[in-house]
Amino acid sequence: MKMRSILMVGSLVSVTLFPALAQADADWKRGRVYYRMVCTQCHTEKAGGAISPSVKSKAEWTAYFQADKHAKGKDAVKFYFSSKFRDSIKATNKAAAKFSDVPEADLAEDVKEFLQKGAKDGDAPARCS
Amino acid sequence: MAGTADHSKFEQLKKPFKSGPEVTKACLACHTEASTQVMHTSHWTWEYTNPANGQRLGKKTVLNNFCIATTPNLAFCTSCHAGYGWDSANFDFSKQDNVDCLVCHDTTGKYRKAPGKAGHPAYQDMEFPKGSGKMIKAVDLNVVAQKVGKSSRDNCGACHFSGGGGDGVKHGDMDSSLAAPEPHVDVHMDAAGLDFTCATCHKTSGHKVAGSRYAPMAMDKEKHIRGRADANPATCQSCHNSRPHKNARLNTHANKIACQTCHIPTVARGGVATKMSWDWSTAGKLSPEGKPITKKDAHGHVIYDSRKGDFVVGENIVPEYIWFNGQVKYTLLGDKVVKGEKPTQINRFEGSHTDGKSMIWPVKIFRGKQPYDPINQTLLVPHTAGDRGTGFWDNFDWSKALTAGMQATGAPYSGKYEFISTEMSWPITHMVAPKKDALTCAQCHQPQTGVGRLDKVEGIYMPGRRANPWLDLLGWLAAAATLMGVLIHGAIRIYVARKNPAAGHH
Repeated sequence: MKMRSILMVGSLVSVTLFPALAQADADWKRGRVYYRMVCTQCHTEKAGGAISPSVKSKAEWTAYFQADKHAKGKDAVKFYFSSKFRDSIKATNKAAAKFSDVPEADLAEDVKEFLQKGAKDGDAPARCS
Repeated sequence: MAGTADHSKFEQLKKPFKSGPEVTKACLACHTEASTQVMHTSHWTWEYTNPANGQRLGKKTVLNNFCIATTPNLAFCTSCHAGYGWDSANFDFSKQDNVDCLVCHDTTGKYRKAPGKAGHPAYQDMEFPKGSGKMIKAVDLNVVAQKVGKSSRDNCGACHFSGGGGDGVKHGDMDSSLAAPEPHVDVHMDAAGLDFTCATCHKTSGHKVAGSRYAPMAMDKEKHIRGRADANPATCQSCHNSRPHKNARLNTHANKIACQTCHIPTVARGGVATKMSWDWSTAGKLSPEGKPITKKDAHGHVIYDSRKGDFVVGENIVPEYIWFNGQVKYTLLGDKVVKGEKPTQINRFEGSHTDGKSMIWPVKIFRGKQPYDPINQTLLVPHTAGDRGTGFWDNFDWSKALTAGMQATGAPYSGKYEFISTEMSWPITHMVAPKKDALTCAQCHQPQTGVGRLDKVEGIYMPGRRANPWLDLLGWLAAAATLMGVLIHGAIRIYVARKNPAAGHH
């Protein structure tokens, strides 16, 4: 029992202190679909244009998510992965509907993983063509 | 689709595996015919004989203008072979355990064949490239073996998305965006929609995958019943038939124009760039310290690499259009080529407007410069990857690389080399857009840009193409003059008839 507690605490500490470990199973493909069909679509239609993954480096994307400031601080990046947000658009957005049951943290990690891959210094620099 | 077997419950798979072939042996204990079936496919043989002209094709034989050829570089190239251990001509193609089941059936995403390991994954952590500090983790074969399933887009994409040495490099219509595309990129594979896998179209039977580019079908007029064994299930017509439009005029277009021509308006649409040209002649430039260099464009795409030369990359590429009857003639090693003004065609898509078998197809034409023997007048094959002291990517010495490469092929080499311009065509058939994004009439018939999509296609009359404004004006004036003549004539007749009613009834 004591050992189990130690292991659980150890796991929590690992995930908290070393987010990379938590990201190990992130799904960049799910992140890609969400980024392109939710983030990009909204930015294209309402925010002056898409933001390609390759406009930032891997470190810049990491810093962006850590700062958690969307629209120059008007709201939080985190909000756009929330169930509340997805529920609000799922009637008109297939990706939001498809991933409506995905935990918020998982979806955020998926998008981060895609952006790491598609960053300008990533394995496959990606644009929003 | 859920399978009917949970492989984690199989005793044969609940043991530590030291190598891929050990896993294959366990698979074959139940799937007794699987290896034999695979061995009859080009995924295993890397061979294909074109029945029309007898040319021996397949990755074992053909040349290209990307990494050029496999023979001297087998240990690296065969990381995309469906087997283990093919690093020389001595590879045993009859040994069943050499078949790699996992590369096509892994569902964990953790199984990766390692570079330079002749199709094996990393069994221990390995640094690649050497000295880079980047580590490839050893694969846990026990975990992977217990999680096998049907082939997914990831399995096919592990090789086919990265042809030519990287994501999206070779084809233009296949890259990692197809692993999870939105409808704009591919309406059939749309991850939040129809979600087709590769095998939905490339329907597979007994491990034979339909729809190889070595045996392309340019025109499909079959009356299809999906699932029929003697028809090609990978054509558009096999689902949509040959008269798919509600508009009869569009259906007449489908008699001569491949579906792909209108429905794949551009390629490399998923945010991943494709290479458009590769100039080997500039390879080998080093930094002042003698180190290899790379240059990138503003978006992070490599446009120069000391090991490979200069590249041009592009996205949203408009294809080129040709008549194509399904026959492709390759320039193979030993074939005479002439260095002249026109580039050498590494493969020539045949067809014309008169043969009754051709349709107008979109292609990506990849252009490059590659080594050539000016004495023997043949294309050359370099040894590029590997540690044998002759690989160009290690020593940047063309003479050593070409001597070793040509020795490996057994073909003659004079010892002299130059670079020759080449072109290679790739059929465009993936990344089908939603119908709202298909080409409009005006893009061919009245292009606002002044350049119509099919302007370079010979042998057809197409209204609006190559319109001459003066000729158009002359025509309109003639039509107007005719109309005026008719009106004036009619007016005179009416006038005369009214003035003299008796004359009007003669």
